[in-house]
Amino acid sequence: MPALTRRAALGAAAALAAAPATLSAEERQREADPPLFGARLWRLPNGLTVALAESRRAPVVAQYLFYGAGGGEDPLGRSGVAHFLEHMMFKGSPNVPSGAFSRRIAREGGNDNAFTSRDVTAYYQQVEASRLPLIMSLEADRFAEALFPADEFESERAVVIEERRQRTDSNPRARFHEAFEAAMWGPQHWHGRPVIGWLDEIRAITRDDLVAFYRRWYAPANATLVIGGDVREAELRDLVERHYGGVPVRSAGTRDRAPPPAAPAEPRLIRRESGVREALFLRSWYAPNLTWGAAEHAYPLEVLVHLLGSGQRSRLHKALVETGLAVSVGAGYDSDALGAGDFSLSAVPRPNVAPQRLEDAAGAVIAQLLEGGPTEEEVARSRRQITAGALLALDSFGSAPRMIGGALAIGLPLETVEYWPARIRAVTRDQVAAAARAVLGARTDTTGWLLPGEA
Amino acid sequence: MSGSFSIPIQVVEAGGVTAWLVEDHSVPVVSLAWSWPGGAALDSDEQAGAAALTAALLSEGAGPLDAPAFADALRDGGISLGFAGARDQFEGGFRCLAEALPETVRLARLAMAEPRFDAEAVTRIRARAIAQARQTLETPRGQAGRAFWAAAYPTHPAGRPSSGTAETLAAIPVAALRDVVARQIRHEGLLVAAAGAIGPGALAGVLDQLFGGLPPGAPPAAPPLPVFNQFGRSVLGMDSPQSQVIFGQPGIPVQDPDWEAAQVVLRILAGGGFSSRLMQAVRVERGLTYGIGAGLDVLFNQAIVVGAFASDNAKVAEALEATRAEWSRMAESGPTVPELDEAVAYLTGSLPLQFTDSRRIANTLLALRRNGRPRDWLDGRAARLRALTRDGTAAVAGRLLLPDAFSVAIAGRPVGL
Repeated sequence: MPALTRRAALGAAAALAAAPATLSAEERQREADPPLFGARLWRLPNGLTVALAESRRAPVVAQYLFYGAGGGEDPLGRSGVAHFLEHMMFKGSPNVPSGAFSRRIAREGGNDNAFTSRDVTAYYQQVEASRLPLIMSLEADRFAEALFPADEFESERAVVIEERRQRTDSNPRARFHEAFEAAMWGPQHWHGRPVIGWLDEIRAITRDDLVAFYRRWYAPANATLVIGGDVREAELRDLVERHYGGVPVRSAGTRDRAPPPAAPAEPRLIRRESGVREALFLRSWYAPNLTWGAAEHAYPLEVLVHLLGSGQRSRLHKALVETGLAVSVGAGYDSDALGAGDFSLSAVPRPNVAPQRLEDAAGAVIAQLLEGGPTEEEVARSRRQITAGALLALDSFGSAPRMIGGALAIGLPLETVEYWPARIRAVTRDQVAAAARAVLGARTDTTGWLLPGEA
Repeated sequence: MSGSFSIPIQVVEAGGVTAWLVEDHSVPVVSLAWSWPGGAALDSDEQAGAAALTAALLSEGAGPLDAPAFADALRDGGISLGFAGARDQFEGGFRCLAEALPETVRLARLAMAEPRFDAEAVTRIRARAIAQARQTLETPRGQAGRAFWAAAYPTHPAGRPSSGTAETLAAIPVAALRDVVARQIRHEGLLVAAAGAIGPGALAGVLDQLFGGLPPGAPPAAPPLPVFNQFGRSVLGMDSPQSQVIFGQPGIPVQDPDWEAAQVVLRILAGGGFSSRLMQAVRVERGLTYGIGAGLDVLFNQAIVVGAFASDNAKVAEALEATRAEWSRMAESGPTVPELDEAVAYLTGSLPLQFTDSRRIANTLLALRRNGRPRDWLDGRAARLRALTRDGTAAVAGRLLLPDAFSVAIAGRPVGL
């Protein structure tokens, strides 16, 4: 099962902003814009949150079950538990033998998979609409009880280790990104550990670790079921009650996301590797988002990240690419993550450009922005371009459940998904300038270089 | 249910260009996909990557719009428009909101008819392409892929990376990019497919606007694809904890009467999900890999069988041995009756899932056209699949799978290979 990051999982919805600005702003949006998906939301007596994003476009349904626990909840010294558990959830439950889950869905023409991010673990299936009861009965069975057969534990650990080697260890860029996170947050901070786990910690995970994680986090009150596609609400309410109503109430843990360290563990990471052919520059700051810190900066930061790093009119493009210093540039920020986040810049230098030159030029872009703030024209362009394609999310079967489940599972209200374009459109130039000062003005950033050469 | 699901495909013609259309107004989005034969196969050896570089530059400034203005026009409208110089074809496509369709068509037409190739854009996009070509070689996956195709087709463009190498990309003059446009973007040889919130009348207008003014004639023919070179084993040493394996063998033409039986055989042996024999043998039972799979890869109307997996350097020999054993077992005795039933149930039942996204629908329709399928191909597919017998499928497995021709490219530090 692939461990997707949230960023990859949301894909086209990367610009998904979601910030509870103020109630009155939200009311204004409701009048201006219909909700994106028009989803319905309710809760079962056992605590399970249920959302329906109905679409009658094709006779198909998708079921996504999100647990509010991911790599960020891995116990100390046991990174990789949430992800390893995801693999073992396919190894059988009281009424579904090991391996039968995916096989039965395939026999009905369906697809299924799962993913683990820092914030969530999610399981999903897509089938022709009349098969919805089947996939519900299968998913509810392993929700109520999973077996984790001891005799399949070691071979699955080997699979997870091969997955880590394939995703990370065989790719110098992936190794560098992993090392950079650890440098910025600390290798044992929840944000500095890889979701798939450090290799020696994957090796140390026991079956008891998985069972404990499952008992602590896989509770109805900590789960969100999202159904997308061709099903009516009344029928779905009955189906959900029948299949999931019997999952026993369990007390769930409370997520405890530590704040960022006072300073980066290693503020300057320089890594040379003989297999690397193109250098890479990263610079990253701790940042608030919709769930942590000064949340009022979250939407303005979505605008800021666009005007800095997205497209040919962006500041980094003009300063680094147009001038011949860099092959490409980028900037990254997620407003809808749980706990402290980051705001990052990246650039690939042209082969003959000295790293310091590029780093200085990037630094000058930031200094200039802090000094003069963005222009009205830049802010207007970014607001327009971030939101222009918002409705394209309706064209992808999985977008609605992924966006809705991803937000609800980290405690954000449904409105953050339904009305995100209006929230972006409400961002002002002054708000972007203030967000830039709050985040990029801090002196606790981390810089990294991946360089060709001998280690 | 499966079996009763049918796809109403309309045929729309305007000015000598026909398009297949699946019309659906439930979501206000339109997707269009089109292609011509040719692509990277028409590049010279010295200028490999010219078609891909040209494709990347078509949307980097056209007509009165320089590159930043063109990019802004796309982004302001939420429009995705792109071109690709693939191995055996040159492709174009867009997806947009219905309200942005006129602007999308204007920009797509400009990109094909009046690309600018401004020096700034050429320098920038060339530098990016070179950096990507170099980065590909940083991983075992990139190295093994390149080695596999080079060994399978040593004397044909199919053996080269379609996006070129750092060396060839550096040597392509702007005149060569204009030559690609002239040879490739023609009125004939063009296939078009559309899906989403557009009716046949409006689509006819779009076809006329986009393609009506293209120069007559078809792109030149690419050199014919030679027989797959059975190269045995090719090992490319590089430091990595894991070895990447790409394996393959000759396949069948897309017009082969047993095409669907071959798809069933490969689904059972090596298809998606967890139920295939290779996933069971190599991942589930032995824990030797994260994933393994293989399928039919179509180029120049020939399918070849290609698959991949990655394993720890110390275990890759064992994983390869298990893969070969399953290959031979399927070639010798074919699938069991339950396996056949499960595969047919999946392939018939999953059809509706392929019609949930306008871009995917347009690409599916275009692939059907490229493979020369009749318009009712999907409607009859379930019945054809259900008519397959175990013995008939076993015979196809015996004809399709050639253990002696099984060829592998490996990148890493494989032990014992």
